[in-house]
Amino acid sequence: MNLTEAWNRLRDRLRRERLTSELDEELRFHQAMLERDQPPGLARLALGNATSHKERARDLWSLGWVDDVLQDLRYAARGLRARPGFTLAVVLTLALGIGANAAIFSIVDRLLFRPPPMLAHPALTNRIYVAQSDRGREGVWPGMAYARYLDFTRSTTSFVRTAAFTTQTLAVGVGDEAREMPVAAVSASFFGFFDAAPALGRYFTAREDAAPTGTPVVVLSHVLWEVRFGGRSDALGASFQIGPTIYTVIGVAPAGFAGLSPTQPAAAYIPISTYAASSGFQGSPGDEWWQTYHWNFAQMIAERKPGVAVAEANADLNNAYRRSYAVQRDISPDIPPIKLARPRTIVASVLAERGPNESKVGKVAALVAAMAVVVLLIACANVANLLLAGALRRRREIAVRLALGVSRARLIAQLLTESLLLGLLGGAAGLVVAQWGGALLRSSFLPNDSSTTVIGDPRTLIVAGAAALIAGLLTGLAPVWQSRRADLAHDLKAGAREGTGTHHGSRTRAVLLVVQGALSVVLLVGAGLFVRSLWHARDLRLGYDVDPVLALELNMRGVKLDSAHAVVLRQQVLDRAQSLPGVEHAALHISIPFWRTLDGRNGIGVNLRVAGIDSVDRLGEFYLDAVTPDYFATMGTRILRGRGIGKQDVANAPGAMVVSEAMAKVLWPGADPIGQCVRIITYSTTGKEALCTYVVGVAEDIKNESLSDDKGYYYYLALAQFLPQQAGVFVRLHGDAAAQAEAIRRSLQPLMPGASYVTVTPLADVIGSQMRSWKLGATMFVAFGALALLLAAVGLYSVIAYNVVQRTHELGVRIALGGQVGDVVALVVGQGLRLGVAGIVIGGMIAFSGARWLKPLLFQESARDPAVYAFVGAVLVAVAVMASYVPARRAARVDPNIALRAE
Amino acid sequence: MSSSKRDLLPGTLDLLILKTISASPMHGYGIAQHIKRLSRDVLQVDEGSLYPALQRLRQRRWLNAEWGQTPNNQRARYYTITAKGREQIGEQEAGFDEIVVAIRRVLRGAT
Repeated sequence: MNLTEAWNRLRDRLRRERLTSELDEELRFHQAMLERDQPPGLARLALGNATSHKERARDLWSLGWVDDVLQDLRYAARGLRARPGFTLAVVLTLALGIGANAAIFSIVDRLLFRPPPMLAHPALTNRIYVAQSDRGREGVWPGMAYARYLDFTRSTTSFVRTAAFTTQTLAVGVGDEAREMPVAAVSASFFGFFDAAPALGRYFTAREDAAPTGTPVVVLSHVLWEVRFGGRSDALGASFQIGPTIYTVIGVAPAGFAGLSPTQPAAAYIPISTYAASSGFQGSPGDEWWQTYHWNFAQMIAERKPGVAVAEANADLNNAYRRSYAVQRDISPDIPPIKLARPRTIVASVLAERGPNESKVGKVAALVAAMAVVVLLIACANVANLLLAGALRRRREIAVRLALGVSRARLIAQLLTESLLLGLLGGAAGLVVAQWGGALLRSSFLPNDSSTTVIGDPRTLIVAGAAALIAGLLTGLAPVWQSRRADLAHDLKAGAREGTGTHHGSRTRAVLLVVQGALSVVLLVGAGLFVRSLWHARDLRLGYDVDPVLALELNMRGVKLDSAHAVVLRQQVLDRAQSLPGVEHAALHISIPFWRTLDGRNGIGVNLRVAGIDSVDRLGEFYLDAVTPDYFATMGTRILRGRGIGKQDVANAPGAMVVSEAMAKVLWPGADPIGQCVRIITYSTTGKEALCTYVVGVAEDIKNESLSDDKGYYYYLALAQFLPQQAGVFVRLHGDAAAQAEAIRRSLQPLMPGASYVTVTPLADVIGSQMRSWKLGATMFVAFGALALLLAAVGLYSVIAYNVVQRTHELGVRIALGGQVGDVVALVVGQGLRLGVAGIVIGGMIAFSGARWLKPLLFQESARDPAVYAFVGAVLVAVAVMASYVPARRAARVDPNIALRAE
Repeated sequence: MSSSKRDLLPGTLDLLILKTISASPMHGYGIAQHIKRLSRDVLQVDEGSLYPALQRLRQRRWLNAEWGQTPNNQRARYYTITAKGREQIGEQEAGFDEIVVAIRRVLRGAT
């Protein structure tokens, strides 16, 4: 059959009614002519079987199996329309399952599977990580020194191209338009990784990206170009301030280009050689940023030559790293020898979430995706159960059709058509669920993502479609399996009532129920563990208050103030802040827990000397903050002994410091820390000339690095005595701090000189990111666990209720024979309970053995917490009892006369 | 099927139909009569094969069908050959000749 013929067949198929009546007319004409030309008897004989002629023509207008499918679909649709309640229940159940999968897939895909848009060779492109050991413990980082990147590029042969890049949030634009946005500083080679011609202008060249200062040229993202330049081509050549530097616009990236971070696209791309100046990094002479090995700001990607395996490339890079390390050791002989440092590289996926430094959020997302699959399985088990009950009810109908000669294959096709139709309807409704729920998920997992929605994303649509088909097939399997075993003679005799030969049917359904129960137990255990993790994290005493505090940062943006003026400005901002309505306390500081230090000297280059201790540094990391008098009141950090930093700790007074409790214990075990002398050695002082700083108080420990294992060695100096280059302000407010953030920013901004500006961030936002993975895990698991439990409960209820109806006769006889109502109820409830307990045991075992995967995602919570298991078990037992009690009560009310007469 | 009728070689019905309407448009009954007459009653095309064949040829775009009036003012469907149909006559005739020659050779060889 050629194309024309196929096409005409299809067209004829659509106008079959007309063609049939035309053929009828033609045949009538033919017959009339025959009768006119020939004797009557002969004519009738000649005409033959008119019906079969028509059938043969009709075959030409049909499309074979397509028509069969259409017929099955019509049949299935009619069947579903006849049972609207059942159809609605099934479609909703599947919609929840499929929708959950589609929604979470759109997120997992973005985090773990989808390569960055326009990346030319995703399979050959890798992120390069470096690993190094320190005292036997290995650290792995995506960041490396620019000099290291140059070494890697120079002394490897495995790669077509390499690029260095880094992203920083910088103020983009000037005046009212200035906003903090992520800006990517990339090497000129970066754009070669992409199939992305600039929408306007050009990308920068290697010559414009040469150390030490580069050329201040910028490639705008398409979005920024439209927002700031209205998409006009005269943007080329315009001056545009980013951070402290004024750049010239030379190009615009194409729409949709997002570099390597689709979830947080950069607003603009600047040469990485201009980054050092923008970020204020100054090396000492002879130790400039492109030669030094200790400023690890650059990340690296590399595209392997075709045919070069990851392992080969890694070996090549490892050699390069060892050579590079040797060079570094020539410059700084005090770094550990190569044997101890064991430098190595890791050639990993271009997707950050799949590299060695994946975030907990990514892991939680993967886990949630697995949960979504489990929910879908539960939904499928539920629907399969309902369909099975339906198929059993239709046994007689099926037996009759088999007896009439309908082939089993056609019958199975019909059963599957019905379940597939339900799957597709569920899928369509699921997309609505996904679109709606997806927005919710997206805002939790990818807060900065502005990409398309679920329905606009082909990959998600394909997954949703596949999920719908699989659900359709899975749910159809049980009834098909059942019909395969149908005992024709028996079914014809027995009719609709369930007899002795149908035990396998109940068994299949019981198995489905136990599976459902087990899967819900797994999800509920997960939910319980995450909720408890979250509780632990919330109850944790951080050593400071979070909710009432705002963190203010003074971004100087290239405005250079000498230290005297910087001190004056800080004091002005502090004074103004303290006088604002709603502000309780305010204080200057140089560190923000979990976030960043505002002063380059913090931690690095500051050594402590304490009498009687050889090397304080060997005891661990001691974190420094320099604060003004109101600090402890502002943060709510308790002073346990002595006093905090006070007004008397001025520049020429004796040095004062407050130490954390843990620090006091480790430095002066068993002794009184108050009055102890600590010598603080900085760049400008040597051990001999450093004066004593006296401990004046002990503060409670604070969480600064991690919520779980933080040693809590923390000390506070008087800002007036330490005089840092930079300082920020903490403000403590009455009432909702976050709501007042913008008002505070606006009141303080007029104090800032030139292009400098103030940012105000609620401390809750800073600390909140630490809790994000637990919050996500808890929310998702609770939502999915509740969904699973609901589905399991409905499933259990419907099956028990159905069984009770089937056993009406038997139960009636029992009561007629003097059985107690309580016994009947106990019988039915016992049945439900047995199924429930089987589910609990199996689910509990699955959860128990899966615990080790969950463990790293939990916080101060055993993945095998018996309390959680006991609670989930109790919940499921309660659900099983409830779901079987209602039908049991109904069974007990059966009038024995009716039951007996029904026979 | 009537005993007086000879079975047509496969594919030859299409050729006969196309050849018949290539001279002038004709309705189904006319086509059947024409073939019967020219073959001196040896070939009788019954409606069971004729009308499905006409449908098939139409779907291949080898002929067109249009309703018209017979000289006796009766409504009948007339079939006309298309350009594509004319091309087919040549091809099919060549094929038919080949088969006939082949059969003849076999028959001669067998005697």
